Amino acid sequence: MTEDIRALTTRLAEEPGSLAFLELAEALRRRGQLDAAGKVARGGLSKYPGLAGAHDLMARILSDQGDLAGAFDAWADALRIDPMRTGALKGIAFLYFRAGDAAAAIEHLQRAAEADPDDESIAQALAKVRRESRSFSQRSVEPEPEPRPEPQPQPRPEAESRAEPIAPADPGSPFADMDGGRSLVLVDANGLRLAGSLPAPSGEETGDRVAAQLAGVSREAARATRLLGLGTWQSITLESSDGHFVLVRPTGETVLLAAREQSLPMARVVLLAERAARAARQWLEQVR
Amino acid sequence: MTGAQAALDRVTRVPGVRGALVASAGDGLVVAEQLMDGVDGRAAAALAGSLVGRLVRTADGAGRRPPAFVQLRAERGSILAAPCPNDLVLIAVVGPDANVGLARLEMLDAAGRLD
Amino acid sequence: MRSLEPWVELPLQTFLDESSARLTLLMTSSGQVVAQHGFSRSLDVMTAAALGAGIGASTDELARLMGSPRFEALVHHGPRQSCLLSGFSTPRGRWIGLVVFGPETTVGIVQLFFDQMVQQLAAVAPRDQPAAPALAENFEHELDASLKALFGR
Repeated sequence: MTEDIRALTTRLAEEPGSLAFLELAEALRRRGQLDAAGKVARGGLSKYPGLAGAHDLMARILSDQGDLAGAFDAWADALRIDPMRTGALKGIAFLYFRAGDAAAAIEHLQRAAEADPDDESIAQALAKVRRESRSFSQRSVEPEPEPRPEPQPQPRPEAESRAEPIAPADPGSPFADMDGGRSLVLVDANGLRLAGSLPAPSGEETGDRVAAQLAGVSREAARATRLLGLGTWQSITLESSDGHFVLVRPTGETVLLAAREQSLPMARVVLLAERAARAARQWLEQVR
Repeated sequence: MTGAQAALDRVTRVPGVRGALVASAGDGLVVAEQLMDGVDGRAAAALAGSLVGRLVRTADGAGRRPPAFVQLRAERGSILAAPCPNDLVLIAVVGPDANVGLARLEMLDAAGRLD
Repeated sequence: MRSLEPWVELPLQTFLDESSARLTLLMTSSGQVVAQHGFSRSLDVMTAAALGAGIGASTDELARLMGSPRFEALVHHGPRQSCLLSGFSTPRGRWIGLVVFGPETTVGIVQLFFDQMVQQLAAVAPRDQPAAPALAENFEHELDASLKALFGR
């Protein structure tokens, strides 16, 4: 972690206009260095006042410092810019709950659940608020939702005829609780698959083949954005008639691909990819 | 006004679009362009064209159909690309505050009409 | 990659890394080889340099006949490989680049990074030593020395 902070500090010093302040401030916040985190976040906000993520980060820092009013304002700013930002919705819901306003807390958590239905923590938070609040408004409270069934591995009758078997869910992978990591692939800088799998519509496993290509995609993307003056690349989204792909970078040396059917809106696939990237980062820190 | 110029005209009217061009996907060469200062059309055609080609091969490797729209998002903006018939690709370079949703719609519509 | 002039190495290596070119030859307009990449036989280098210089001279003459400014680049597309031939000015005089590339890259990428290489060569070329005149009696000796340097013999 100290090395990360050092590297991020150097990067920010070399490129004061870059978005490295987000990672650096978050790393400092996690280490409890809240004053330093706040300074970095404020500096970044002065350059990127329209960046919802920066306001969200500032709110978390202020919340950790005990400045709940400041945190509320910062999350409200984040939501003005990005009304679907689940971090801000959860944060404000938490503040309303602490203030005893269960109805407002539930309303914000419901919006967060709509924005990211795969986020189990939102469902858990909703259940907790409903359970612990003293009164419910008839307007805003819905009946207790049916508990979500545990995702079951689907039988694949075509498995025996395929050339390659689909990779089974790997309990040691970062995506073990995300449908076993199917349609999520984590790739290292050499084009080798670290985790996840990517079955084609035909059922054939394509994870290794796609992983080999993604290292080249990452290099090309980095070159294109650098030479066109756009800075560091952050994500690639592809829409096709039979599915959506999102590529993100959990770390500087890895790429993550999330694939979903076309019926899911692209913005939701992006949220899924970002969630998978967070899980991948935590997993990589543990395995290293 | 040619079809390519009409397409570029529509795309560049979207707020935040700094330039648009039609490139030959296989060669990475500019066919038509409409760019603001500071946007290198030749580089955009070559680099975006090459990246889109690689993404098409990646989609193929995953057993999927070629992409109809691509967004490469970076710190200070995005590159948008919509493959068109006849081995052309419509490319736009946009700033971080661009209305990407509107640009996407205009590009998908224009890409379908280009020949 | 082999080069007679050390200052050519970095721009040329950058070009090779970015363009994915299969074969590259840099030569003076008279066909004297400066650097090469990808060739395995000295005869091929000499032949390619002679032909490249000849094509360069032919297109210059064609442009003159047409009353047009000099043509800077020529691209031949083939079914499996393509070829770019491009003349450019350096502080050491006029040079020609011959680049052969396959479908793993595009002519747009090759031209983009070729032009960047030309700019870098212009920036790093030493200016304190004028180009030595090519004397007939030294020519064979220079050619032999060049081929040894280019093929590491």
